[in-house]
Amino acid sequence: MNYLELNTIFLGLAAIPALLVLRGRQWVTVAKVLAPMLILTAIFDNLIIATGIVAYDAANISGIKIGVAPIEDFAYAVAAVLLITTIWHWFDRGEK
Amino acid sequence: MSFAYLGLLLFSLIGLALIDFKFKLAFFFRPKRSAIAIAIPFALFVFWDLAGIASGIFFRGNAEHLVGFELFPEFPIEELFFLGVLCYTTLIITAALGRKK
Repeated sequence: MNYLELNTIFLGLAAIPALLVLRGRQWVTVAKVLAPMLILTAIFDNLIIATGIVAYDAANISGIKIGVAPIEDFAYAVAAVLLITTIWHWFDRGEK
Repeated sequence: MSFAYLGLLLFSLIGLALIDFKFKLAFFFRPKRSAIAIAIPFALFVFWDLAGIASGIFFRGNAEHLVGFELFPEFPIEELFFLGVLCYTTLIITAALGRKK
């Protein structure tokens, strides 16, 4: 299994609650949280890769990169945003 | 052996907690909801990481900035703190934007 396939599975899992719970305007919140998280991920990921803290087997990644960060890495940030906004808003359900 | 990475992650976590405390955003607003909002993605990310390691997709790089203690093979202890920073940062931003004026 390569990184793209792995991340599709896990990101898919994270997306299910969001698709079931979130309504209309709440997706605007998702976009607003996602934007800074993608920027922070791009910075952080490049730093931990450039300093050698984490490494990838080139054979298993797509090769598409933002700097030195594989694009697949951003799936973690997207999953975090989807799950956390969903859980947070789920507790507000039923309120105006 | 270095505490550089772990130190930076702890610094980030403390900073996030201070922001949370100052603005009463997450744990200092709705602790149960916050705990669940962190715990579920955190668990998913640990499994995700382990699956990536088991598939040979990624591995711990050189140990220069790491403490050197691995929780599982190729899973440095710092990774738990990084996943905490990822989840807590997302939570803080979500809570801040979700606040009713």
